[in-house]
Amino acid sequence: MRALPILRRFGTLIGFALIVAFLWWRLPDTFMTARNWLNITQQLSMLTVVAAGMTVVMVMNDFDLSVGSMASLAGIVAAMLFSLGYPIWAAVGVALLAGLAGGLFNGVLVGVIGILPFVATLATMTMFSGAAFIVSGGKTISGRVIPEAFGNFARQGLEIGPVTVPNLSMVAVAVVALVWVLLEQTTFGRRLYAIGGNLEAAHLSGVPVRRFKLIAFSLTGLSAALAGLLYASRVASANPTQGSGLMLNAIAAVFLGMTMSEEGEPRVLATVLGVLILGVLDNGLTQMNVDSYVRQILVGSIILVAVSVSALSRSRRS
Amino acid sequence: MLKRILRTSAVVAVAATAGLTASAALAAKVAVITPYLAQPGTQFYVEAFQGVAAEKGWDVNVIDTQGDVAAVISRIEDMVTQNVDAIVINVDPAQVEAGLQVAADAGIPVFGMDAGANPLLVTNVTSNGYQMAAETSSYVADRIEGKGNVVMFIFDAFPPVQVRGVIARAVFGNYPDITILDQVTPDVSDGGIADSRAKMEAILAANPEPGSIAAVWAAWDQPALGALQAIEDAGRSDEGIVITGIDANPQARDEIAKGGNFEASVAQDFHGIGAATAEAVARVLGGDTIKQRVTYVPTKLITVANATE
Repeated sequence: MRALPILRRFGTLIGFALIVAFLWWRLPDTFMTARNWLNITQQLSMLTVVAAGMTVVMVMNDFDLSVGSMASLAGIVAAMLFSLGYPIWAAVGVALLAGLAGGLFNGVLVGVIGILPFVATLATMTMFSGAAFIVSGGKTISGRVIPEAFGNFARQGLEIGPVTVPNLSMVAVAVVALVWVLLEQTTFGRRLYAIGGNLEAAHLSGVPVRRFKLIAFSLTGLSAALAGLLYASRVASANPTQGSGLMLNAIAAVFLGMTMSEEGEPRVLATVLGVLILGVLDNGLTQMNVDSYVRQILVGSIILVAVSVSALSRSRRS
Repeated sequence: MLKRILRTSAVVAVAATAGLTASAALAAKVAVITPYLAQPGTQFYVEAFQGVAAEKGWDVNVIDTQGDVAAVISRIEDMVTQNVDAIVINVDPAQVEAGLQVAADAGIPVFGMDAGANPLLVTNVTSNGYQMAAETSSYVADRIEGKGNVVMFIFDAFPPVQVRGVIARAVFGNYPDITILDQVTPDVSDGGIADSRAKMEAILAANPEPGSIAAVWAAWDQPALGALQAIEDAGRSDEGIVITGIDANPQARDEIAKGGNFEASVAQDFHGIGAATAEAVARVLGGDTIKQRVTYVPTKLITVANATE
């Protein structure tokens, strides 16, 4: 391998290693500890779940802007059902179904009616957000109506020897594993990549594109709802806007991940690395007392550098 | 030669880093974490907090999570990892209890800056809602000389506003000649002014005789502004109806400064809250224990005399 292809494929990975090394150097006592890394995985669990779901639609060259609103809506739906006295399993189940239904709706708009995903999911983003406001009456639902066990889920974990692996982290790992199996190990996944590679060719070769889009968007909606529930559990409350920050970060994570694959297509494990880059920077730079706004500029710059390196080395090759 | 320069600069760099680390270790490290830094009130708290912190020589890290409450928990965890000396939050503590518990387990004191009371906070520094309502309701009672009909605008669904209504009812109830004509809970989905105005228009129509309404007491400024618009539009601003609000927002201050029916409101002392929070942190860092779960900072009655200050 020559230097350029190595840089293209592993530039982002090398960048991540450099970031970790830098933070380890600046924070020798606190960064590279099991405790801090478990914290990071817990802090990133919601974003990981949304980004893994986002990867599924981005494999088909589509994307979903409504995931943040769906996350908020799912949290609100569950909290409202709690306040009406429904048990946790029922409230969580209905919230997940809402995610599935919302995703299916996106799928119908994009796959059946044929609206551009940007337009369709921009519209449903506002719709889901409005629905969250209507269901909640614009208020934050918190306090006694949220069952203690629901809030405790995010605070507890599995004790393995001296460390406690947070429940949230385990859920995120499980979701990533499921998406990995689906995308990398099944015919369904290979066909999704085929659609992403060449929609017409996939269609002509008999891939049921419409049905695939319905399923893919439904899964993205479901994962967004799950992330919203994790968020609600972590803050033991639900607010009609609380998931809104997840969408852009999830897309950013998938793009960061795409810089690492051979053909520039999204791979879920690469997405996880993208999520880790964003989260490790947040965690490390906070610990280094770097201003929150400077941190944002840095994160944006790193995305640009990663994508530029990837784009430049690819154009150089061709 | 080059090697020597490199070696010297490396030594200098290491020494400088060591020096920085040493000086940082001496200063108390305090983190202020909020999702609401963009809001004016929060900025006042934080500025005042930093002012006191600068005098004390603390190393303050202000972290804005831009509306993301779960990120407040994450940043509390990071600050616990950094083993800071104290953490200050400006967010509903019930929503970040997961983080507060982590700090409590690590023995790091957490303070609320107008956050809400919580057993996991050393103390929450805020304004006293009972006191604010006492200021304006006694102002009303004094101005109407203890007699007449009063319209109240309340909002019992929101605890910080509910306490204001409790006090006003008690004060008015203490005057045998004051009658509470109506207690209105306006629809606040559009901000509260428009619906309060509509409700006040109906009350004015039902009580057409001049003098039949002596005062409007509102638990916050928006209904007071709505009532003022209704009274002015009905051509009844010369009847001497006294209006009071609470919060002293800029629009309310403008109206009070005009010297019309809207006569008084109460301002929270945002700077005072920030400074008092810093003083509470200083006490705990100095080894004191704070018994009060809530620390109240005095508020200020705003009338035509000081509305433009």
